[in-house]
Amino acid sequence: MKKLMTGNEAAAWGARLAEVDYIPNFPITPQTEIIETLSKWIREGEMKAVFRTMDSEHSMLTAAGSASATGARVFTATSSQGLLYAFEMLYNLSGWRVPVVMVNVSRGLSAPITLEPDHNDILSARDSGFLQIHCETAQEILDSILVAYKISEDKRVMLPTIVNFDGFYLSFTREIVDVPKLEDVRKFLPEYKPTHTFFKASKPLAQGTPVLNSSLYSYFRYQVHRAMENALDVYKEVKEEFNKKFGRPIDEVETYMMDDAEYALLMTNSFSTKGKKAVIKMREKKINVGLIKLRLFRPFPTKELMKQTRGLKGLAIIDQNISPGKGGVIYSEVSSELYNYEEKPKVITSFIGGLGGKNISETEFEFAINYTRKVYEERTTLRVPILLFTEEDKKTSKTLIDIAHGGEKNEA
Amino acid sequence: MIKVRFHGRGGQGMKTSSRILGTAAFLSGFFVQDFPIYGAERRGAPVVAFTIISKEPILERGYIFDPNILLISDETLLLDKQTDPTKGMSKESIVFINSNKNEDYFKEKIGAKVIVEDLTKIALEVLGRPILSTLIAGVAAKLVGIEQKYLEEAVKEELEQIGANEEMIRKNILAATIGYNKVQEVKIEQTESLEPEVKVVEVEYNDPEISTPVISFVANSYLKKTGTWRVFKPIIKYQKCKSCRLCYVYCPESAIKWENNFPVIDYENCKGCLICVQECPLKAIEIVREGE
Amino acid sequence: MEARKMKLEKKIKTIFDIPIQEYVAPGGIFCQGCGAILAARLILKLLGERTVVVNAAGCFTLAVVYPYTVFKASWLYTAMACAPAGAQGIRDALDILIEKRKIDKNEDLNILVVTGDGAASSIGLQSTITAIHRNLDFWYLAYDNQAFMNTGAQKTETTPFGAATSTTKPTSLSPLGTEQEPLDLFSVWVSAGAPYVATVSPSYPVDFLDKVERAKEIKGPKLFHCLSGCPPGWNYEPALTIKVGRLAVESGVWALKEAVNGTIKHTYIPKKRIPVEEYLKIQGRFEHLFKPVKNKEAIEEIQRKVDKYWEYELHDAK
Ligand SMILES: Cc1ncc(C[n+]2csc(CCOP(=O)(O)OP(=O)(O)O)c2C)c(N)n1
Ligand code: SF4
Ligand code: SF4
Ligand code: SF4
Ligand SMILES: [Mg+2]
Repeated sequence: MKKLMTGNEAAAWGARLAEVDYIPNFPITPQTEIIETLSKWIREGEMKAVFRTMDSEHSMLTAAGSASATGARVFTATSSQGLLYAFEMLYNLSGWRVPVVMVNVSRGLSAPITLEPDHNDILSARDSGFLQIHCETAQEILDSILVAYKISEDKRVMLPTIVNFDGFYLSFTREIVDVPKLEDVRKFLPEYKPTHTFFKASKPLAQGTPVLNSSLYSYFRYQVHRAMENALDVYKEVKEEFNKKFGRPIDEVETYMMDDAEYALLMTNSFSTKGKKAVIKMREKKINVGLIKLRLFRPFPTKELMKQTRGLKGLAIIDQNISPGKGGVIYSEVSSELYNYEEKPKVITSFIGGLGGKNISETEFEFAINYTRKVYEERTTLRVPILLFTEEDKKTSKTLIDIAHGGEKNEA
Repeated sequence: MIKVRFHGRGGQGMKTSSRILGTAAFLSGFFVQDFPIYGAERRGAPVVAFTIISKEPILERGYIFDPNILLISDETLLLDKQTDPTKGMSKESIVFINSNKNEDYFKEKIGAKVIVEDLTKIALEVLGRPILSTLIAGVAAKLVGIEQKYLEEAVKEELEQIGANEEMIRKNILAATIGYNKVQEVKIEQTESLEPEVKVVEVEYNDPEISTPVISFVANSYLKKTGTWRVFKPIIKYQKCKSCRLCYVYCPESAIKWENNFPVIDYENCKGCLICVQECPLKAIEIVREGE
Repeated sequence: MEARKMKLEKKIKTIFDIPIQEYVAPGGIFCQGCGAILAARLILKLLGERTVVVNAAGCFTLAVVYPYTVFKASWLYTAMACAPAGAQGIRDALDILIEKRKIDKNEDLNILVVTGDGAASSIGLQSTITAIHRNLDFWYLAYDNQAFMNTGAQKTETTPFGAATSTTKPTSLSPLGTEQEPLDLFSVWVSAGAPYVATVSPSYPVDFLDKVERAKEIKGPKLFHCLSGCPPGWNYEPALTIKVGRLAVESGVWALKEAVNGTIKHTYIPKKRIPVEEYLKIQGRFEHLFKPVKNKEAIEEIQRKVDKYWEYELHDAK
């Protein structure tokens, strides 16, 4: 059934179709519509689940983890400050090996506080042991949540997943979503029946135990890594089954016009759509360019990425985040993974754009590709990273700063 | 380089011993490292501390696997398989044991150079409490050949740090010198590092039942047999016991079972806190020093 | 409200009413003479193995160190701030799983949060207050050793006036050690609306377990705030744990009481209170009040506060 809905509603639909038992929550813009929608459905009897507003995201994630450790299927959602507030518990949940699925609606981090998206929030959770699936469209959000439960609850994985999408550009944007039938979803995603973590009177179990022996600590934490590696294989199986049942591909690395590409943009999340449009424009100008979108970020799909970047002259990575003192996080991740690969792109360039939701225009994408070509063709020294910041941005900033300091002393 | 390893129980002051030795060696002009193993220090529970003394800069971190000198604060620690205090010791190592037994008793069992003194007795006489930190530091300082004046200075410095008053410092300097004079300086054989050679292996994925840190065999902590923590042993004199249940109820460790209307102490697990002795209204529980 | 009807007659009347079943095995990583594990052993005698113990960081965390657990019951260590949130998740999950018939209702469990005073009175207070406010059906044993013991005895919100801790060492500039009065956790819980709030002591096991037994009738948050002697942290010999607790109660420093739906009642009133000095002087953490010279003023101040408390409470009780 096709419906027009926001990204947030698509997320709520994902949880509803997964027939989750428990939704601990705490509101934060731009995630609120997800929990509002779910609470409404529960109150109207459309969904059978406990909806529990906690005192904070830290508690929210704790309750999510402990409920999952009891045997319930759990969904929760947060964003930016909330994700950081819950940070300690991210590592706990992966250590408990509980298959919670959490949505993160990306939003730039304070200070200064802002509402619009970038990816510093979600990328900070990179090392926590949560799987990460990043979405470009509302459809992908719904699909990814179903896929996430299926993978998380697989015995070979048993790890929590974050499904990520951009605030505003996706959370509040309505587009067409094909909502699968519940019966079909049930066939794809059977009831969760844990065998390793549960709380019940007939079988006492100690969970979340301290491990003071360092060999054993290494073992358990490394098992989380092993489970992540398994998740790569499981993802492949699940995406095939999903595609067969629902007719939608949901590849870990998606490519766009890459067949004969010599250059490529590499991106994640909703601005990939804008990147695709820029690719078309550049193609019209006879630039052989394509786009690579990372959908699965943890586990990192290295092999797929090697395949898709093989022999490129240049790869321009657009990072909507900044690690001060280093640059773009995805640039670091991709370059390090490709370093030992014979057929790696000749040049990998790094651009920071879209911080705090700032637009990335076609010209900026083209600038990135042109710069990459120049570095490749003229062997010029590479500057890393380059901030995509326009004359217009500079002017706006100046005007506002002037106001902040008393008066329109325009020096220009 | 001399590597010294201290084994003791929480509350006996082994961390302080290792620091006093460290400070004394530092004052004597050596390169020094000292380090306690921390985290779960509990009164009565086994603890380990280390001091390394060297003429050259020290390229070591963490656990000392091959000590030249081992100081064991009480013999019951030797029974503790988990700590295994003599682990990594070589024939050349010197092992000091605080005990009221004689050296021959341990020589066979340990197979190294053993020195035995009853420091607990001295501690009770000099300090009024079975705290061994300064006595053992004194022994260690002499064994490694540190001058007495540096030992005294170090005792003062370390005890001031932990807030001891003048009287305590004076008594502890006395204790340290008694320990110092109980033993002779030894010639330390310089041995090759014994850190064991290892083989790096693959770690496969295991099913979550195994690879998640959960415990399904509940209430299994009795397997740890914390009876080895005991320095003093409570013994019930049944002819005096009137089955009032107080000892049973107050034992923090569930180490007293209630059987046939009488309390029965589970010595494999009793930690020797002596609450039962203190609380028995009929004084029906007596104390003996462990190993007597 | 069920609680209003709660019978006040005693259920555990003498020491012989205390069950001899054990649900806590020996061998935990607790100091010799630890009052906290004794408190847990006692409360679990009545809650039994159909319980899940939810813990926040503290000494108690080492009750379970892989591969060993002291409990017959289930266990979950959460983090320092959030044990009550962990309890909420388990409670909600059990309820919905039973309602959806995914598990049998015989699989239901008591939920017992066990944390130290540090977690209970500072970092965990937010998750606690809201759990109370939601009327979460759970038990909370707050063993109060009056400092952050697991990290080496630093001052908490419940460290008493005059006590030395590793962050409030008496010096010539600050001779008292801790200058601040402890946070009154009992009143915090009462004012948050908890239906059952009690102070207990392992030195008074009959009083303690009678409260537990009677509180079983109450659905909702139930606090057992337990003054728990700590030999290394308070600096006394392990054998004295019960005695220290007894002196705390007999001197009136630690009042044994309960609040049922906000109505406070003292469950034990010492007939003739012994001087607080008796309680203070056997603990090394108060040694600076006696040596090298006696700090009469401070000791009198402590005595005055205790007297004032009882004057007020006893007057009120009339
Ligand atoms: C978020 C966080 N901050 C600090 C700590 C360090 N920490 C571990 S145990 C502890 C003390 C707990 O004190 P209390 O709750 O009184 O329990 P006790 O140790 O006295 O048993 C602290 C501060 C932690 N584990 N987590
Ligand atoms: S000494 Fe007594 S009270 Fe202490 S653990 Fe042993 S039996 Fe229990
Ligand atoms: S306290 Fe003493 S009299 Fe009472 S049961 Fe124990 S041994 Fe017997
Ligand atoms: S430090 Fe105190 S509370 Fe902690 S285990 Fe030891 S006695 Fe118990
Ligand atoms: Mg405490």
